Amino acid sequence: MKLILNTLLLILIYCITTLPQGFDVKAKGTQTFSFKDDKGRNQATFHSVTPFDEVDGLTTAISGQVTFDVKDIKNTLKGQISLPTESLKTGIKMRDKDLKEPKWLDAEKYPAIIYKIKKVTNVQKTAPNKLTIKVTGDFYLHGVTNEVPVTVTITYLDESAATQAREPGDLVGVTANFSITLSKFNVQNMILGKRVSDNIDIGVNIVGTNKF
Amino acid sequence: MNKKQIITFAISLTIIIAVFIIWIINGTYVFTQTQILIEKKDALFGTTYKEWQNKFIWGLDLTLIISAVSIIASTILFFIFKVKRKRKNEINS
Repeated sequence: MKLILNTLLLILIYCITTLPQGFDVKAKGTQTFSFKDDKGRNQATFHSVTPFDEVDGLTTAISGQVTFDVKDIKNTLKGQISLPTESLKTGIKMRDKDLKEPKWLDAEKYPAIIYKIKKVTNVQKTAPNKLTIKVTGDFYLHGVTNEVPVTVTITYLDESAATQAREPGDLVGVTANFSITLSKFNVQNMILGKRVSDNIDIGVNIVGTNKF
Repeated sequence: MNKKQIITFAISLTIIIAVFIIWIINGTYVFTQTQILIEKKDALFGTTYKEWQNKFIWGLDLTLIISAVSIIASTILFFIFKVKRKRKNEINS
């Protein structure tokens, strides 16, 4: 009896973790979304806190694409987003210049920051058109690639009058918050000493369309 | 200290105290900023996003520069007035 129960439990766990999990929306099949936004609405922010100073930064020059089957995010989500290192701004021109110097992010040598999706786990449906997923991907910064896990919330909106006011096509809104450690990317905080934290909090808030 | 020197010293001290008060009122930022991030609501997705807004925030850097200039100027004036006083005394005697 115990063996049967254990077997049933294992089958249940297997089904839960491997069954396709996706959105309950009108759209069907595989969809590709582009995050290129000329209006500058898509954005990535970064935040650093040290006892001495607090730095907030932002870029709106995000591009990239993701492809997934609407009904099976876990097994089909692929893609990457990227941004030009040169586009990072902190509200102080001199600091922006320092940030792109060779001793920091070296924008000339490493012109792009890229996140490439590798796998998806822990899919949770919080609404028919909203999923929270855990994405593991390669984060490329300053010439170094590290695996970074990110918790992502994806909201799928079928095309409607409201979405058309923003952009044509179905829209996906993606929000994510995660942290990176600068020293793991060979960024040594040389110029400003310890005024910038080694741990940088990153926030992503982007909207993509499947009509591009 | 003659009267002019006392006035110079008082003005310098007032400037330094004033810039430090302005710095504290502005939030004790280390660097002077000309833009700040403000949060905005995205009604379509129910999320918030940030935008740059032009706003001048007085920083410690500007506070220290103005204080240093004030100290240097008052020191120079202090010695100029001292020399003038000496010359005046020499002429009178």
